[in-house]
Amino acid sequence: MSQLKYLVIYLSLLAALVLMILPLPDWVQIYRPNWIALTLIYWSMALPKRVGLWFAFFTGIILDTSLGTLLGQHTLPLLLIIYINLNLYQRIRVLALAQQAIYIFVLLLIDQVIVAWVEGILGRPTPLLTFFAAPFIGMLIWPWVFVILRDIRRKALLR
Amino acid sequence: MKTIIEVRGATLQALFLIGFCIAMMVVDHRFQHLEIVRTNISLALSPLRYLVSLPATGGNWLNDWFTSHTELLEENESLKAEGRILSARLQKLEILAEENARLRNLLGSSRKIADEVIVAELLSVDQNPYSQLIEINKGSSDGVAMGHAVIDDFGIMGQVIHVNPQSATIILISDPEHAIPVQFIRSGTRSVAFGRGSTRQLELRYLPATADIMVDDELVTSGLGGRFPPDYPVARVTAISEDKVRGFVSVLAEPKARLDSSREVLVIKPRQ
Repeated sequence: MSQLKYLVIYLSLLAALVLMILPLPDWVQIYRPNWIALTLIYWSMALPKRVGLWFAFFTGIILDTSLGTLLGQHTLPLLLIIYINLNLYQRIRVLALAQQAIYIFVLLLIDQVIVAWVEGILGRPTPLLTFFAAPFIGMLIWPWVFVILRDIRRKALLR
Repeated sequence: MKTIIEVRGATLQALFLIGFCIAMMVVDHRFQHLEIVRTNISLALSPLRYLVSLPATGGNWLNDWFTSHTELLEENESLKAEGRILSARLQKLEILAEENARLRNLLGSSRKIADEVIVAELLSVDQNPYSQLIEINKGSSDGVAMGHAVIDDFGIMGQVIHVNPQSATIILISDPEHAIPVQFIRSGTRSVAFGRGSTRQLELRYLPATADIMVDDELVTSGLGGRFPPDYPVARVTAISEDKVRGFVSVLAEPKARLDSSREVLVIKPRQ
């Protein structure tokens, strides 16, 4: 029973994955926030002992397979931002949501830049301006993600 | 409080995993070893993919359900008309095919015309927005294999790059990583058409300035390289630009296939 409540973590990540591969019109695609990164950052902030680097690694591999990218292309930046988060979460957790959002923007931007960087190496350069769109939307969405996942976490009695 | 040892442990772990990721990317890019990992994860996730494509499928289904009687009659009528036209054309085609076979026999060439195909449907799954990959609902259990060419009603769409038991990933001819050997129908000049990342454009680079090319020339697969079967329509020339200094011509062409809107596709199985 005590293990069962951790199921909500997996379910929330699954929901995030669905949001990542849900078909959208072409012009909206570049605004799609990285739901997986947002969800992972939340859990690693709330339960850093449980959701750490290995968690990020396996989530990333699944994300890469679903998106059809190179295995590791989304995993590497996820690892990096979760690593940064694991070092900073104690300071970030106490900030107001609006301040947290700025931190989230920076993390998402790092993620985005690394993914685009690998695309560039593969010969698919991405227009520079599109870098900022998705992290920006992610930043705007963060307070809601935070509140929703926090309520879920409290309902599931995870701490 | 964290001790220094703990922090170092996490850092080491992060460095190790990041290094592992880089190694994995290189291996995945250059070799096929990780295909098995990809296939297994894809298989485990396939219910999710069907779930995601459900709204689109459900939408179509509802649409069909609520189409009014008169509309159905109209559609039926127009389809019948189209059927008549097509069968009329087919008669002509059959005669041509026979004639072609006879002539080929005369020439002693053994090439057959019919290819075996598998009908597949696109799964509405968005992948990486920067690369031109699509997913179809047929996989290795239906006979689809890596490298098979994929066409729609109008021309070549791409080729299979990953196969799972129930689905497959197609790289479109417009992907910047993709190149397809082509031939001009009119002049017979052979070349290679590269994708440019836009579904409406292919590029043919470094053609000799003396090549006989005109706007509106049709391009078909040349069959060289053995990946794509020969003589399928690929593109139509839209622009020709000359590099006077180096004496090359580069050509832009518009793909025949509806790369961004076709829902039903055919996978061509190469003849044994």
